[in-house]
Amino acid sequence: MNKLKVSLVKEILLLLSDKVGLLLMFVMPLLLVFIITVVQDSAFKLVNENKIEMLIVNKDQGNLGDSLIDNLALSGSFNIDVSNELLEDDIKKQTLNRDKLIAILIPKNFTKKINQNAEKISNLMLTEFGVLDSTNVLAKNQSLKNNNLDFYFDPILQESFRISILSGINTVLIGIENRKMLQQLFTDLGYEKIPDHIQKELGKQNVSINSMPASNGTSVMVPNSSQHNVPAWSLFAMFFMVISLGGNIVKERLSGSFVRLQTIPSAFLLTIWSKVIVYLFVSLSQLTIMFCIGMFVFPHLGLPELKMPTNILALIVISVLSAYAAISYSLLIGVYAKTQDQAGGFGAISIIIFAAIGGIWVPSFIMPEYMQNIGMISPLHWCIEGYYSLFLKNGEWNELTGTLIYLLLFIFGCQFFTFIKLRKQNYI
Amino acid sequence: MESPIITAVALTKYYGKSEKPSLDTINLTIFKGEKFGVFGPNGAGKTTLISLLCNIIKATSGTIEYTFDNQKKNIKEKLNQVGFVPQDFAFYAELTANQNLYYFGGVYGMSSINVKEQSAHLLEILGLTSVADKKVKSYSGGMKRRLNLAIGLIHSPEIIFLDEPTVGVDIHSKLTIINHLEELNKKGVTIIYTSHHLKEAEDFCSRVALMDNGKVIALDTVSELIKINNAANLEELMINLTGKELRD
Repeated sequence: MNKLKVSLVKEILLLLSDKVGLLLMFVMPLLLVFIITVVQDSAFKLVNENKIEMLIVNKDQGNLGDSLIDNLALSGSFNIDVSNELLEDDIKKQTLNRDKLIAILIPKNFTKKINQNAEKISNLMLTEFGVLDSTNVLAKNQSLKNNNLDFYFDPILQESFRISILSGINTVLIGIENRKMLQQLFTDLGYEKIPDHIQKELGKQNVSINSMPASNGTSVMVPNSSQHNVPAWSLFAMFFMVISLGGNIVKERLSGSFVRLQTIPSAFLLTIWSKVIVYLFVSLSQLTIMFCIGMFVFPHLGLPELKMPTNILALIVISVLSAYAAISYSLLIGVYAKTQDQAGGFGAISIIIFAAIGGIWVPSFIMPEYMQNIGMISPLHWCIEGYYSLFLKNGEWNELTGTLIYLLLFIFGCQFFTFIKLRKQNYI
Repeated sequence: MESPIITAVALTKYYGKSEKPSLDTINLTIFKGEKFGVFGPNGAGKTTLISLLCNIIKATSGTIEYTFDNQKKNIKEKLNQVGFVPQDFAFYAELTANQNLYYFGGVYGMSSINVKEQSAHLLEILGLTSVADKKVKSYSGGMKRRLNLAIGLIHSPEIIFLDEPTVGVDIHSKLTIINHLEELNKKGVTIIYTSHHLKEAEDFCSRVALMDNGKVIALDTVSELIKINNAANLEELMINLTGKELRD
């Protein structure tokens, strides 16, 4: 009877009997990928497709306050509720009471101040051209004061989201101010208004922005929540095998099975290799299932479809090395942990920390530099870097060098320390 | 004349940085077909001696020689002729008895048919046939103990090491285990056995080594030891030689 075959059968039976381990390895990642992708996709739609509820209190005594409201409405990003009767002190409370995410108070001298500013700029320009006397301009400059809009926001609004809304409002505001300045310039030059043909040209946006992801291959991968989340959370789940495999090793060690195997020729190493083969199969199955769900199920759920990279061989190599790194780490935890609880607890926490610093939850580039440096020790960081190169940039082999070198070193390190421990205990 | 199967010379074992040896210069010869007992209080060095003889741990100094077919061999060369039944339940509780025997028989290199036949035979003798396909975690302590023995015997070894094979089992399981060991011994299998049940040892073993503080303090047949030391039985002899002080 083939020794390897019976060892593999034993490992498969043990794995199938570990219901919690199977749930953690197959059901948890499916839920994670699904939930995180839906959440991120919804956030994307909230910003890009849904309108943000906005309360505006316009105390302006001129016409530019209304112009600002009209332009904000035209931007299509906001559902505007105008309540001019509200007192300044009530706005904070009413923002929350009326379920508005944001509120703007347009001050009573809004138009006046923009006009003053436009007049100042126009005078400065005409002085520069030699049309006006500079002393007159300086006197007007001194009479200008700050002209602020008050912006209120629901505290649940995340900072990045708030900054993006503010940026949208600023764009509208700058447009109004620029138009007013130009109008003032034409008035000062003796025109009644901006000539129609110029007015028409001003209404056009001549330079538009084409947003394109950077890519190295010929095909362009479109980054979306699926391209980010499916590889990231699949890796996270793969490393979670530490609970099943690490715990399994501790259990066999403590039960005395390993001691019995020591008295059987070559049985111990055979057992270890059987575990490696079975868990390699498990890891690659996890990835295959997750990728298939991203490709074939997500589109039916209204989620973006996962597009596979063109360099399939690189994808296979990175996947196998990532799986082998997860297995090596689990073996290391398994041989050093004193109890099953210790293997499960330490293993799970260490994977969560590796995921956090490695950029699985939030991208590494938004972390402070020292955290980015610390994140380099995480195997998950290198695995995800490799996957992002393939799934988001359609990367080639030369971009995977760092990932390949680190993963090989990590595997070697884990196996070296596992070997030392097993040797010390006379298992091998 | 009986032929030696295991010869240990000046066997010494220190654990870690301990200054006190767990085994101190043990010289021992075990003969083919013997029922050899190793006894002593807790911490005497019994399990260390068995572990060294089975190649589970390495000696700090000293040598062990095995003789198979009149040829001296290194234990590593003949491990598949050695059976080991540890005190712990060294099997997979999530698997059935048949699956455990299939696995351990398989890693010994037995053929599938051989494993099946031998499993059926052992399960029958040890009264486990009716539960052979049930998961071991549902077994009673006695059933687990019998399966532990069956796994150690699956490959029909020439030498069997048994570390407390009857601990924690009822009288019925104990009798079944002892009777089967007697049967095997009659067929020429050498049995090396440790136990705390001195009465059981007195009845079962042909020769015994009494150990204390890592040393063999007496070595002979049970009847001869009792006679020389003028004791009523093995229990009294043990107390006389090792004292009444508690051991941990």
